[in-house]
Amino acid sequence: MQVIENLKVKEKMYIEKLENGLTVIIVPKNNLQKKYVIWGTNFGSIDNHFIEPKTGNEITIPDGVAHFLEHKMFEQESGVNSLDTLSALGVDANAYTTNDHTAYLFEATDNFYEALDELMDYVQHPYFTDENVEKEKGIIGQEIKMYDDHPGWQLYMNTMRCLYKVNPIKIDIAGTVESIAEIDKETLYSCYNTFYNPSNMTMVICGDFIPEKILEEVKKRLVEKDKQAEIKRIYEEEPQEIDKKNIEVTMDVSNPLFMIGFKDKVDNDENMVKKHITIEVILDMLLGSSSDLYKKMYEEGLILSTPDLDYEFSKKYAHVLISGQSKDPKKVIEEIKEQIKKMKKDGLDDSHFNRIKKKIYGGYVVEYNDPGSIARMILSDSFKGINSFDYLESYNLITLDYAKQVLEDIFREDNMVFSIINGK
Amino acid sequence: MNHNVVEIKKGIKLHIINTEKFKTNLLAVFLTTPLNKDNVTKNALIPAVLRRGSENMPTQEAISKELEEMYGASFNCGIEKTGDNQVMKFYLEAISDDFLPQKEELLKKGIEKLIEIVFKPLEENNSFNDEYVQSEKENLKQIIEGKKDNKAQYAMDRCVEIMYKDKPYGLYKYGDIESLEKIQSKDLYEYYKNLISKCKIDFFVSGQVEENVKEEITKQLDFLNEREPEYLVNNADSEQKDNKENTEVVSESMDITQGKLVIGLDITKKRDNLRYIASVYNSILGGNPMSKLFQNVREKESLAYTAGSVYLKPKNNIFIKCGIEIENYEKAVNVIKEQLEDMKKGNFSDENIKNAKTNILSTIKFIPDEQDTEITYYLGQELANTNVDFEEYENKINNVTKEEIIDFANAININTIYFLTNN
Repeated sequence: MQVIENLKVKEKMYIEKLENGLTVIIVPKNNLQKKYVIWGTNFGSIDNHFIEPKTGNEITIPDGVAHFLEHKMFEQESGVNSLDTLSALGVDANAYTTNDHTAYLFEATDNFYEALDELMDYVQHPYFTDENVEKEKGIIGQEIKMYDDHPGWQLYMNTMRCLYKVNPIKIDIAGTVESIAEIDKETLYSCYNTFYNPSNMTMVICGDFIPEKILEEVKKRLVEKDKQAEIKRIYEEEPQEIDKKNIEVTMDVSNPLFMIGFKDKVDNDENMVKKHITIEVILDMLLGSSSDLYKKMYEEGLILSTPDLDYEFSKKYAHVLISGQSKDPKKVIEEIKEQIKKMKKDGLDDSHFNRIKKKIYGGYVVEYNDPGSIARMILSDSFKGINSFDYLESYNLITLDYAKQVLEDIFREDNMVFSIINGK
Repeated sequence: MNHNVVEIKKGIKLHIINTEKFKTNLLAVFLTTPLNKDNVTKNALIPAVLRRGSENMPTQEAISKELEEMYGASFNCGIEKTGDNQVMKFYLEAISDDFLPQKEELLKKGIEKLIEIVFKPLEENNSFNDEYVQSEKENLKQIIEGKKDNKAQYAMDRCVEIMYKDKPYGLYKYGDIESLEKIQSKDLYEYYKNLISKCKIDFFVSGQVEENVKEEITKQLDFLNEREPEYLVNNADSEQKDNKENTEVVSESMDITQGKLVIGLDITKKRDNLRYIASVYNSILGGNPMSKLFQNVREKESLAYTAGSVYLKPKNNIFIKCGIEIENYEKAVNVIKEQLEDMKKGNFSDENIKNAKTNILSTIKFIPDEQDTEITYYLGQELANTNVDFEEYENKINNVTKEEIIDFANAININTIYFLTNN
């Protein structure tokens, strides 16, 4: 096992790539009762076009399959739902689907190994029938409708539709009522066999464990599967330009919502962590709680709290997001544009820069309080090809000059879009 | 036990939770005062005004800069309704001194800053800064108006308002626009001064706490007077509510695609260990994925995406909550009523009881692993004037019998059925 230690947070990561291709990462936490395990596959809503390794066939799947598959994995041939079994063990089990991965997890204090039995059993044994696939369409249809009423989600989706021309990140993770109608058990089996092969999966375990011992427990529960060649995923080339400047819609909200997006180039090099931290520092200097612009807009009653600031990226997309609520979202957007111009012109203040770097460092340390947050972070970073500890080590490498360069490169008007949800 | 309580002065308690589980120290101050129509809005406004500036950090910017220098210590405040009390909450979280790149006394500094923000506000001519008050009034107004944005929460709030019409618990925790508009900076300051001289004060420190911290806090809080704290103990005797004979059915509309159904249940009989029996009953009914509501409303009938229930301990009510297709309203209500009848007839298995208990106990076991949850647990004990540790809690849950649950089920009445539908 490879061991990586971080002296800042005093944690260790044990990494093992098994013969069947599965990556297992263990983070021991000896003073907690809570144990957390998450098992993810590198298959998300954007993976909708690929070549099936077994047959060589090129396949395009309906929108929403990864999420549909996540729902259906819990169903067992015995008629029992695995979520029920896990819940009966008193563990907190769940699953989720993102743009680039799907994950199955549970958090436990007692009955950990019984729950691990169940988790590893259901993820390795799909059971899809025509009837159970049909029934699920009703439940997921309700979920889609719930998101239709969710202003925050609509705001985000509209931003994606502005930023991207062809990238499948612009389609809803759950698909649409129409697209899921096309899903049948054959689609699900084909995707399962392709993407749920161990070589496309990573498991992260955090809690009071001896790494060698828990690794054996995992190995014991693995089903033998044929080795699989790398999955060829097909993505249409996404142009660097945005698709449209803005989308505005009306919904039943008391205070309009806004989201600004800046499209970034996908950067597959080791620069990612450094760039990510730098963007977080810049965003905080622009709009964080001690920034001039936040102070001004708060005092004018334009915004009620610091906007949400985020850099979202994977191997297939990258963008900066700024979102919040305001009675006059257009004004907020103008103010932000002006402030970015000003920052470029006047340069970044050195003491402000260093103060925010300290703040960002503190934020990374806090992530290590909770096994769930540790495991989810490590899993999600691993699918991006990142080691999470790098954030703690790289923060000190960020220079003012580099920040200036990132500011010029990414925060431009030609790659900026916005989405607004107005009240009725 | 790692939870240590000292009464610094009458009405002011210091709770120390010594734990090595976290990378952070979490500090909290809670000001507790009875809920009532006259003060609810003022109490909601106070934390917002306090976080704008203090004696030595007169602007929000100054506060933020201090916190950023402390490796991004985070300050949070908020307002909560806990039974018939309103609690003003203030938190400060900072990295433990062990995880700093260089040595600094962050815990000590954190205590200082938190006490300053809560108790030493920026004062001008015996008033709060008028600009701060006016702008926070505007913000609070938007929060009150924004109540309808989260539809599921809105439906829940409306159901509670209908059940507790003209009672303290029916008040919205952020207050109302009418009272808000009347608030003046000077009066608010006077009200605040009076409040901090009378309310119940609880100070919590959780983390790697050394012995000198107790003295440090005691010293720093010395300027506060002792008091006979004004607050209501949350227990069966303090409940103020009427149990309805007939169910009230209310339907309201909004522009939504998914209907939100909330059913409020009364518990009409008092008994020993009621809260433990109610917890187990609630868990079987709708508290976990194995529950009757989840299984029957969501899984078997595909009527809903969300279906479950919550037990509101301080007020002793159970609320059933579902997100459903509008046209399925009648069907959903019927299926839910069938589940309540089933509970009365004892149509649930030992397996169901076992699952329910396992579920409740697993959430109890998580508590010491979550810094804020542990503080909230002890605050709940403090306000209920009980001192139940995790072991006793576990025993009481384990001792609940099927007979007690059936007996309890027969003392359940549907008070209100609230449905948020489309236009």
